[in-house]
Amino acid sequence: MVTAVEPWARRVLLCLPLIFVAIFLVVPVGLTVMISFLQRAGLRFLPAFSLASYASLIGGARLEVLRRSLLVAIEATALSLIIAYVIAYFLARKVTPAAARIVLVLFTIPFLINYIVRDVSYTVLLGRTGVVNTALMAAGIIDAPLDWLLYSDFAVLLGLISAYMPFMIFPLFLSIGAIDRQYLEASALLGASPLTTFRTITLPLSLPGVFAAGLFGLVGCLGESAVPIILGGVGYELIGNTITSSMDVLNYPLAAALSSVVILLMLLLMLGWYLVFDMRSFLGRILEWRA
Amino acid sequence: MDEPASRWRRWPMWLIIAVALAFLYVPLVPSLVASLQGVEPGQWTLRWYGELWRTPLVLGAFRASAMIAVLVGILAPLLGLLAAMSIRELGVPRFILLVMLLPLFIPGVSMGLASAFLFRLLGIAPSLATIVIVQTLWALPFATLIILTAMTTFDPQYLEAAYLAGAGRWRAFRDIELPLIASGITGAISFSAILSINETIRTSAVQGPWNTVPTYIWSTYRQVGLSPVLYALMGLIIIATVVIVLSFLLLGREARPR
Repeated sequence: MVTAVEPWARRVLLCLPLIFVAIFLVVPVGLTVMISFLQRAGLRFLPAFSLASYASLIGGARLEVLRRSLLVAIEATALSLIIAYVIAYFLARKVTPAAARIVLVLFTIPFLINYIVRDVSYTVLLGRTGVVNTALMAAGIIDAPLDWLLYSDFAVLLGLISAYMPFMIFPLFLSIGAIDRQYLEASALLGASPLTTFRTITLPLSLPGVFAAGLFGLVGCLGESAVPIILGGVGYELIGNTITSSMDVLNYPLAAALSSVVILLMLLLMLGWYLVFDMRSFLGRILEWRA
Repeated sequence: MDEPASRWRRWPMWLIIAVALAFLYVPLVPSLVASLQGVEPGQWTLRWYGELWRTPLVLGAFRASAMIAVLVGILAPLLGLLAAMSIRELGVPRFILLVMLLPLFIPGVSMGLASAFLFRLLGIAPSLATIVIVQTLWALPFATLIILTAMTTFDPQYLEAAYLAGAGRWRAFRDIELPLIASGITGAISFSAILSINETIRTSAVQGPWNTVPTYIWSTYRQVGLSPVLYALMGLIIIATVVIVLSFLLLGREARPR
């Protein structure tokens, strides 16, 4: 579309973001994997191809941490997906775009506010002498304070969901909103019930958004170190705070090995997303631009 | 679908949304209340906010957060704009988008750890620059997506018209494209700045002796515990975020022609 010779400087400029990500993310991730194979000798690390860190990962308590992290992350992500899907569906289909915009902004603000602020407040609200227990006892609903509100799986799930659910609404909202309404009308004309239409048309067509939102939630939940510390209480270990505590005792190969496992898992899921789903629904118009 | 009956049936949905929002907003209240409470119960005061200005560590954290937010607010949208253009022009849109989204797929702790390894290997001491790099990386996917979305709503024929009228690349970009995607760019700037102001996990891996406001809150909470001054700091971070979001929305409304 442009007849002038493409100046090489322009290409270099356009490649800058790729170079930036390559140097500051791809290389460091590779480095993490390399360090995970280093051999630990006292406080020094010898260049080697040692599987010691991975062995210590599989044996004993750390496997339990890994298992629990995955379980908690999957639970939090699944619950968030359900809540976010219901909200996104409603906003995309049932309300005016102006109202949807306002509600989306209302969900964006708490996502942007540092979640440590929110988690600390949850400890104030949910503790044994906290607002919730006091109110429930005053109302005569319970006789003794509820213990499971804080420093429990419940509190950790609450912290994770409130941190990542708000943003998961966006990809879901976009993918549900992008479905051609003619499909829905055709389905209704052919006599399908709203539920059948949802199951056979809306849900399958919104799957790219579901997968994107799910991945976003999983990454967040697996990379979290503050939530288990604040809301899980003493001894509540998830992979995030296990990595930071192995860093604190200078066991870099172990921290790197734990980190590599999580990164590998996420990259596999991301690759699956990339291969299975067509990004053309989003990139469509940009693809057409290439002359 | 707008008949009264179906409108009436919507109230359970609005209730769900209200409950979800309550779970997100109610936890902001205790910090704000505690930050305004005096030593005596029932007494209200702004002294904890005043105290903040007399704490050198906090002032240092403010300065660092502000400088970093400005830099990230410039760098991430700039890289995001270039990324969005390269997605359009370099012929491998899916690949470039995938690379730009990578920071979203690397868990926070792992990303902080990996960056710390890199800087140590390169012999770069932790500084404001390392924090800016890590936060720019974190904001980049968001900035790219926001600008890309703005670009898809804009008809490339305008650019063709500019070229036909004899405009060069730069002229066409400045006079035609930039005004049309301006809302995307301001969105990317405010989003990047807010992400920077609130980022904690990745930052704490490369902060060294520097503290931003959230890393100060995090380390003080872990070492000393909660205090009225810390609540005041949390109150400020809440207010700052809300102000930036609202001012972006108001500016955006004015800039929009219709």
